[in-house]
Amino acid sequence: MIGRMLVAALLVATWSLPAAAQLTPDAEKALYEAAKAEGSVNWYVAHYSTEIAERYGRAFTEKYPGVKVNVVRATSGVVFQRVVQELRSGPPQADVLASADISHYLELKRRGQLETYRPANSATLIEPMRRIDPDDQYHAVSFGLVVLMRRTDKVKAEDAPKAWTDLHDPRWRNQIALSHPSFSGSVTTWTAALNKAYGWSFFEKLEKNKPQIGRSLLDTNAMLKAGERTVGMALLQAAAQDQDKGEPIAPIYPTDGGVVIAGSMAIVKGAPHPNAAKLFMEYLQGEAFDRLQSQDFFEPMHEGVPSRTGLVLKNTKLLIISPEELLKAAPEVKDKWRDTFGN
Amino acid sequence: MSLATSIGEVRTRLANRGVDWTILIWIALAAILIFIVVNPLARLVLSSFEVVDGKGYTIDNYFAAYGRWRYVQALLNTLVMGAGVAVLSALFAVPLAWACARTDMPFKNFIRISVLAAFVTPPYLGAVGWVLLAGPNSGWINRAWVALTGATEPLVNVFSLGGLILIMACNLFFFIFVFVTAALELVSTEMEDAANVLGAGAFRTAFRITLPLVYPAILGGVIVVFLQSLALFGVPALIAIPARYPVVTTQLWQFFESPVRVEVAAAYAIPLLGITISLLGLQRWLLRRKGFVVVTGKGGERRITKLGAWRLPLLGYALFVCALSVLMPMVVLVQAAFSRAWGRGFSFDNLTLSNFQFVLFEHHGARQAVFNSITYAAIAAFFAISLSLCIAYIVNRKLLRFSGVLAFLCMAPFVIPGIVLAIGFYAAYAPPPLALYGTALILILSFTTRALPISYTNSAAGIRSVHPEMEEAVRVLGGGRFTAIRRVVAPLLKRSLVGAWILVFIPTCQELSTAIFLTGPNTRVMSVLMLDFSEEGKLEQLSALGGVLLVITIAIVALGFRIVGRDFMLRRIS
Repeated sequence: MIGRMLVAALLVATWSLPAAAQLTPDAEKALYEAAKAEGSVNWYVAHYSTEIAERYGRAFTEKYPGVKVNVVRATSGVVFQRVVQELRSGPPQADVLASADISHYLELKRRGQLETYRPANSATLIEPMRRIDPDDQYHAVSFGLVVLMRRTDKVKAEDAPKAWTDLHDPRWRNQIALSHPSFSGSVTTWTAALNKAYGWSFFEKLEKNKPQIGRSLLDTNAMLKAGERTVGMALLQAAAQDQDKGEPIAPIYPTDGGVVIAGSMAIVKGAPHPNAAKLFMEYLQGEAFDRLQSQDFFEPMHEGVPSRTGLVLKNTKLLIISPEELLKAAPEVKDKWRDTFGN
Repeated sequence: MSLATSIGEVRTRLANRGVDWTILIWIALAAILIFIVVNPLARLVLSSFEVVDGKGYTIDNYFAAYGRWRYVQALLNTLVMGAGVAVLSALFAVPLAWACARTDMPFKNFIRISVLAAFVTPPYLGAVGWVLLAGPNSGWINRAWVALTGATEPLVNVFSLGGLILIMACNLFFFIFVFVTAALELVSTEMEDAANVLGAGAFRTAFRITLPLVYPAILGGVIVVFLQSLALFGVPALIAIPARYPVVTTQLWQFFESPVRVEVAAAYAIPLLGITISLLGLQRWLLRRKGFVVVTGKGGERRITKLGAWRLPLLGYALFVCALSVLMPMVVLVQAAFSRAWGRGFSFDNLTLSNFQFVLFEHHGARQAVFNSITYAAIAAFFAISLSLCIAYIVNRKLLRFSGVLAFLCMAPFVIPGIVLAIGFYAAYAPPPLALYGTALILILSFTTRALPISYTNSAAGIRSVHPEMEEAVRVLGGGRFTAIRRVVAPLLKRSLVGAWILVFIPTCQELSTAIFLTGPNTRVMSVLMLDFSEEGKLEQLSALGGVLLVITIAIVALGFRIVGRDFMLRRIS
C-alpha cells in the first residue's frame, strides 16, 4: 500500500503551529441552540462518496442531536448546476456546498452569492488549510490527491504505469478508466493540471488508447471493480479505502506528480438554515471530524491527527493548480475535452 | 348549507343575471390547463429569446445553441438514434403482437406478461442491466464469449450507438405492441379467409392482408416510440456519454453547467418541439383519404391462424425478444443487487444483503425518495384523471361550446418531451413570485401535465362506454346532472378509472427526465437518486433500489389485475 511505498513523515512538520483559539463551549452552545431551532442542514456534497457523506452526516447528528443532515451527493458539476439553478429562481435550498472544483467558489463569490463566515475552528487547522480565502467565503474541508490505480489481480505492480505519460503506452488500449471534467470537479482540476504540465497533446495521445469515461471520479473505481478496466485515474483516498476493504485495487503514486484536490465548502447566501450551516461548518473544521475523515485516508488537516496514507507531501512531487488558474482553465479544458473525446 | 345547495344557489343567481353557469366551469378548467400546459410552454419559447442573465430580447440564444457544429451534430445523432429505435421496436413488436393476437403460438400469456414487464422496468434500469451484460470487458456476454472462443476482442459493446438503440427499443417496443394488438383484435377474419381461399399461406396473408390493415396502428406506434426515445435522459446519461455519442438531452443538460444558460437550453429545445409537431402532421398526411374502415368497425368473426410448422420458430423469436428486453437484464440486475461487487460473479462469498440494507436503512435520502416517488405519482395520477375526466365528460356530452379546445390542451403535452417540459416549468414557476423550485408541488404539477394525455384518452374511452340514456333516465326521474354523475356515471366508471390511475401511476413513479431538473434536496425521487448512484458507479446499490421500485410497481399492477381484471394495461393504453 501507498504508506509502505513512501516513508512516513508529517507534512505539518515545517509549517507553523496554529493559534489555539477554537470554538468556545459557550459559542458552540448558542450556535447549537439556534441550529436546533432550524432542525436540519442541506449539504450538497461532491468530493465524498455517498456512503462517506452519509456517515459524516450521521456523526454530526450524533454530536448535535436534533440537527439532521440532508446529504445530496452528486458530482461537482451537477452540485454547482443545482445551486446556480436555485439561486436564479429565488431563495436557495442548499445550505452548505462542498465540492472539489474550487473555481465554482470563485464564480459564486464573484456574483456575491456566498455567505461570509469564519469558522472559529479554522484557527485550529494547519497553516496551508487555514483561511484559504482571505475574505472567509469558502474554506478547506479536505485534502485529496488524484493518482493512478491498478487492478491488482490483473496488472502486476512492476507492469503498472508509473507516471501519467505511461498511459500513452498502446498496452493500455481499452484498459484505462477516466472520468469526465464536466461532471467531476476533481477531474477538471486534474485535466487543467496535466494540460499545464504537458500541454493538450497529452490528452490527444491518451484518446488513442480509447479510455472509458465515467462521470464521477469514483466511477473509475467501480469500473475497475467490475473488471471493465484494469488501470485508471483515481482519488487516492478512494483507492486506498477500496484496498483497505480488500478489493483488488491499489493506488499508484505517479512519479510525475499527484494532482492536489482541495475539497472546499461554503455557505450559500440566503441559505434556509444559516445557523445549522455555521455549526456544520465548525464541525467540519474541528479536530474530531478530522480524525474521522483521516480514517478514510484523507490527509489530516490538524497537527497531531495521524495520516493513514503516510504520504510525505513535502517530499512528493505535487501538481497544484491555483483557484485563479483553475477558474481560467476550467471552461477551456472542458471544451477541448469534448472536442478530443467526443462526449 | 350543503355544497350542492350552494352550487345550486349560485347557479340560479347567475342564471337570473343571464350568465350561463357552465361557462364558469369551462373557465376554471381552462385556467388549470393554462397553468400546467400553456404557460410553461409559452415561457419556454419566451425565455429562448431572453438575454442570458439580463433584460431584453435577442435571437442570440439560437446562434449560441446552433452556432457550433458539435451542437448540431448532437441533434443529428439524436434523429439517427430515434429512427434506429423506431425500426428496431417495430421489428420486435409487430411479429409479437401478431403472434399473440392472431395465431396459435404457445405460451402467449407468458410473452404478454414479459412484454408488460419490459415496459414497467424503467429504461435507465434496463440500461444498467445491459451495462452488466455487455460492458466490453466485464459484461457477462463478453466474458462468456472470451472464455468460450479465446477471442481477444469483445463480442458486443453496450457503449455504442447500437447499444443505445437496443436498450431504448427494449423498453419502448411495448407501445407498438399494444397499438398493434388492439388493432389486430378488431380486424375480422373474413378478408384473411378470402386470401386463404385464393391460395395464400399464413405468412402471405399476414403480410399482404392483416398487417396492411393495421398499418395506421403500426405507424402511430412507431411515431410514439420515435418521440419517446428522443426525450429520454437516463439512458443517454448512462450509455451515450461513455459511448461518446452526444445527443440532445445530454447536450441540454450541459447548458445547465457553469456558466448556466437556461435561455440557450430553451432555444436548443425548440426544434425538438418542432420535430414532434411535424411528425404528428406527417402521420395525418400519410393516413389521409385512406379508408381503414375495417379497423374501426366491430363485428365479423376473428379466428386464430394455425401456424403449423412455424409455431416453434415464432415462439423462439418471441422468447428471444423477451430475453433481450426482460429476462437477461433482470437476472444480472438481481445478481448485482445481492452482490458485494457484481463483477465477481455468482459466488457465495459475494452474496450480501448490504445493498438493500444501505438503500433502505442507512441512506437517509433513499427512504424519503421512495416515499416521495409513490406519493407524488399517486397524487399526480389522481389530479390528471380528475381533470381529464371532467373534460372528457364535457366533450363527450357536448355540454359546452369550445370544449374541443380543452381536449386539445389535454393531449398537447404528448408532444412535449419531458426534459423540455421541465425547462418550461422551471422558467415559469421556479422564480418568484411562485418560487416553486424544490417544492413537491412543482413536481406534482409537472407530473400531472405529463400524465394528462394518457389519462385523457382513458377517461374519454371510459365516458364513451357509458351511454347517456342512463343519465337521462335519472334526469327523467327528477335527479340533477350531479346526481346522475354521482349515482350512475361514477359507479359505472369505477373500474376503468382504477385502470387508468394505475396506468398513469406506474410511468409517473419512474419519471426521470422532468424530475431531474425540478427536484430539490427534500423532494428527491427514486429515479433521480438512481441517476446519482450511477454517477458514482454504484450499480449494486442502484440495482437494489431499482428492485424496490419494481417490487412496488409489480404490487400495484397485481392490485390492478385484481380490481380491473387481467390485460387491463395491454388493452387500454391506446
